[in-house]
Amino acid sequence: MGMGFVTYDVNRYTPRQMVVLPMVLLIVSLAILGYNMASTGMPVKPGMDFSGGTAVTLLYPENPDTLRATFSGYPLIEPIGEKFIKFGPMDDATFESLATLVNEQYPDAKIDQIGPSFGQTLQQQALLALTFSFIGMAIVVFLAFRSFIPAGAVVLSAFADITMTAAVMSVIGIELSLPSTAALLMLIGYSVDSDILLTMRVLKRQGKLNDKLSGAFHTGIIMTTTTLAAIAAMWVVAFAGEITVIRDIASVLLIGLVIDMMNTWLTNAGIIKWYMLKRGAK
Amino acid sequence: MNRKDLIELLKNWQVALLIVLLVASVFFIFPHSEDGKLTTNLQYGLDLSDGTWLQMEFQAAVAGFETDRPVVDFLTDLQKNLDAEIYHIDDRKIEIRKYFTRDDLESAFAASGGRLTTYEQGVSRETAEQVKVILEEKLNALGTRDAKVNPLIGLSGISSYVRVELAGVGLAQAQEIVGKQGRFEIRIQTTGNETEHVLYGDAINTVGVPTQEPPGSNRWGVSFTLTEQGAVQFRDAAIRYGATTDPSRHYLNMILDGNVVYSAPLSPDLAAKLQVEPIRELVASTGAGQDGLDAAKNLEIHLRAGALPVEVKVAGSGYVPAALSDYFKTLAIVAFVAATIAVGIVIFLRYREPSIVLPMIGTNLSEIVILLGVAALIQQQLDLAAIAGLIAVLGTGIDQLVIITDEVLHEGKVPSPNIYQKRLTRAVGIIMISAVTVIIAMLPLALMSLSTLRGFAIITILGVVIGVLITRPAYGKIIMAILSK
Repeated sequence: MGMGFVTYDVNRYTPRQMVVLPMVLLIVSLAILGYNMASTGMPVKPGMDFSGGTAVTLLYPENPDTLRATFSGYPLIEPIGEKFIKFGPMDDATFESLATLVNEQYPDAKIDQIGPSFGQTLQQQALLALTFSFIGMAIVVFLAFRSFIPAGAVVLSAFADITMTAAVMSVIGIELSLPSTAALLMLIGYSVDSDILLTMRVLKRQGKLNDKLSGAFHTGIIMTTTTLAAIAAMWVVAFAGEITVIRDIASVLLIGLVIDMMNTWLTNAGIIKWYMLKRGAK
Repeated sequence: MNRKDLIELLKNWQVALLIVLLVASVFFIFPHSEDGKLTTNLQYGLDLSDGTWLQMEFQAAVAGFETDRPVVDFLTDLQKNLDAEIYHIDDRKIEIRKYFTRDDLESAFAASGGRLTTYEQGVSRETAEQVKVILEEKLNALGTRDAKVNPLIGLSGISSYVRVELAGVGLAQAQEIVGKQGRFEIRIQTTGNETEHVLYGDAINTVGVPTQEPPGSNRWGVSFTLTEQGAVQFRDAAIRYGATTDPSRHYLNMILDGNVVYSAPLSPDLAAKLQVEPIRELVASTGAGQDGLDAAKNLEIHLRAGALPVEVKVAGSGYVPAALSDYFKTLAIVAFVAATIAVGIVIFLRYREPSIVLPMIGTNLSEIVILLGVAALIQQQLDLAAIAGLIAVLGTGIDQLVIITDEVLHEGKVPSPNIYQKRLTRAVGIIMISAVTVIIAMLPLALMSLSTLRGFAIITILGVVIGVLITRPAYGKIIMAILSK
């Protein structure tokens, strides 16, 4: 391998061995999301954007105890950070007095408020956007390859990417918000990138299957690594600076890209290898 | 590379276009110094510039109906049952300017001899546009520095929300401005230019939409009704100052916030009627043809004195202070620079060849510059989510340059121009497919009214389009020219 830190050999395992791990993880993820769906009605816990509420972002850090004391009369949601505090739904008059209080105490604070019905609308639209995006992506992939198994493999690994990422989000406590929805959508685009490269190389190039697979792996891993590097840099800055919008997007993309590596080089590579071997490739 | 090769390279249309667009973009972004601070033509969204946003929900519904009765009868009864303003906006659709749940409407429709077929909370596109005009007029009258009013119109053509963004205004102040009504007064001409007070805006009960008076005449006017007391005041003033006997010398002036917005005499017909009894139903005529219609539309707004035709409720709001938006802006730039450096390091570790790495990063950055240029040109606002989109474009961009590089460098040797072209075409094929998927994936977001994520989707789509059509193919040519040395 060209890069020292990549030790996986895409040709060492049989297709069956390759797909076992991701398929088990996919089933576990679906179970987690299904359980959430059954118990709360949403696969991932919705954040303030969707469930309604108020968020206050401070410019300078403040002691959480001071914040608790200052906002004791309002529906504060724990845990509270030093720069980011959230409130549950409240009526208009309470919100106005909260806005005035924030303005007096912390004139440099950002306030965001989403009403419950508006949140509901946003949530419906976000889920619609995710569904349409996924269907649109699947149509493009099928039109591009016009062959069921290779196209199906790409769509399956994109589906696995989204599902597993959502499951990880739910386990580690990242809420579904407008930014994290955006990240999931971006993931649909990113995840097919390396899948398409793999499929094109294997189907359209001349040569031995093993060579094509390792060539694709070589290029694909570089692609994902550079993207990961960009996103990781974005995450570090957003985390240190507590920019929640960018931090949420970056966190979901980081998780998603790692999962995508697995799905591309185990799920998709496994299926395409099986498909080519079945058709008598060497 | 020698001079001749360079000229050859520049003759390639994609490379030439890349350079032209780069120059044009810098021109559109127009970085310049203002009061010692670096400024550009880029538009920033609310989280990157101080101000307030209010998203307001229309307390109204657009409903489809079916009835076996004559439509006019059905609508008349429905209006009685609901006690709300109803406008027939389409063959089988009405706008109800009051909030009702679907269930409420279903029973009211049934009671009026019809059936509810569709229900959507919101207003028609026309009403939404009217709300926009009223709000903009009100905000401009108050001298608000930079106000944006956008009704969010869904794919069905119905608008459920209107979003107002006010730069440099606090949350409480913004709510007050949006809720505030103008001061409306009717005065009557006594002698010469002297006028006397007749009534204030509170005496106006309802205001209609522009209609032809009489129907089919192409002469336009706006009907309005007075309260009982207002009608008495109106009649008393008209009689006291002689407007009923000599209308042409006693014009009635309508004044909004100190400006005369309408001035006309009583019609002889109305003058005669007023002599007998108070009249509550009045029509202010505005003339014939398109001009008359336009004047009627304006007058309707003025009669409402800045009150919206539909009640709105704040559904969401937010405020970003200047200090915090500056902080976000700085950190967004830091995040972007950090991402670029990180990408540069990984690419260098992979290729260890400055003649590949530098053009790659250069192409990538020019993609971002062109993207910003387009954003400045179309006045697309940049907010935090759009910045994340920008960094995502950086990420996919570099991915695709890797695909091109590896595809053409296949087996390590630089191929002959013929084979090279074939491989480049194949590489562009791969990146085209993934570009189309990204565009398709982002399209729902760009079309939907999920306000804050639209910018993100538009930036991502634009970035991908610029990338696959211009910068990435140009990179293919540049890398060929460099490597064939």
